[in-house]
Amino acid sequence: MLGEFEYLIITAAAGLGDAAYGAAIREEIAATTGRKCSIGALYTTIDRLEAKGFVKTWMGEATPQRGGRAKRMVHVTPKGVQAAKNFYDAVVGVSRGASWVAGKTENAT
Amino acid sequence: MTSLNWSLVQTAARLLGREEREAVLGDLAEAREGVRNALLGVMGLVARRQVLLWKDWRPWLAAFGVAFPCSLLLMGASLSVSWSYERLLCPELLKAASLTKGSGLFLLIYQAALLIGWSWTGGFVVGSASRRTLWVSTLLCYAPCLFCLSRYRIDSLPRACLLLFLLPAIWGVRQGLHDPIMKLAPAVLLALSVTLLTIAAWSTGAEHWWSVPKLNWNWALILPAWYLVATAGRPSAIAVRD
Repeated sequence: MLGEFEYLIITAAAGLGDAAYGAAIREEIAATTGRKCSIGALYTTIDRLEAKGFVKTWMGEATPQRGGRAKRMVHVTPKGVQAAKNFYDAVVGVSRGASWVAGKTENAT
Repeated sequence: MTSLNWSLVQTAARLLGREEREAVLGDLAEAREGVRNALLGVMGLVARRQVLLWKDWRPWLAAFGVAFPCSLLLMGASLSVSWSYERLLCPELLKAASLTKGSGLFLLIYQAALLIGWSWTGGFVVGSASRRTLWVSTLLCYAPCLFCLSRYRIDSLPRACLLLFLLPAIWGVRQGLHDPIMKLAPAVLLALSVTLLTIAAWSTGAEHWWSVPKLNWNWALILPAWYLVATAGRPSAIAVRD
């Protein structure tokens, strides 16, 4: 089972597609969750995901915008997609009875 | 970010592997991070990497199992070689030890060969098992050296005599870093040679080998050589590369 942050990275990377790399994933996570993620947390989690076979990474091209430095590109593998789907299903399933889910009220039991 | 501040971040990033450094510095440049955040980000990643490295048993073995204890023992062995050399130059000392010039020279060569064997194998194990934690192993090797140098009281021999083992040890570390997987045949040959020389040193009761047999811990110096045999040809025995 994925952790929450692992799920965020896989989902952000999957959404970015061919443009998924460190800085873009950080920006995507910050934009959608409102939480800044540290570069340390990002890269150690990407390593962990790669070790589990959920993502594949390689060094991409350099751009002048990055001071001529290469990007670490990230691609979500089919195994990663399945793990993210399982996580999502688990969250949706366990949330069904929760009061904050649409259609429920605070008093619902 | 000014060039001075940027160079600070770049310096910190040197503690990362080459490819990761490239990606991280590029990300920071692209995100136009402030110097404080960039530095914190890089140092945070470095700290996480170091913590992850220490979850493995090899850095512990290299630092606390080899570098620290072996440096203590090897300083004693270095001193023995220096004494043998000094004795060879002084006929009175040679006579007092009941040695001829030939046997004195043999003892010196024998002790020097043993010192080189012990130091090189220890260094090789540290180099191959530490890699990115080599700085800790280095600190743990130098700490006892500095302590002993500060308390050194032998007038007839210069302080540098304590550190004779460092040259072959550094050579071993370099070899261990460069080509960390040793083949079985040379590893066995090396271990047998070092072990036989060590056993011969006990049985002859060679002078100045911290002579009281019960207190002789030099046998421990053959362990790195046998570690090389146990791990010969196995890539899993080496620490993660950059």
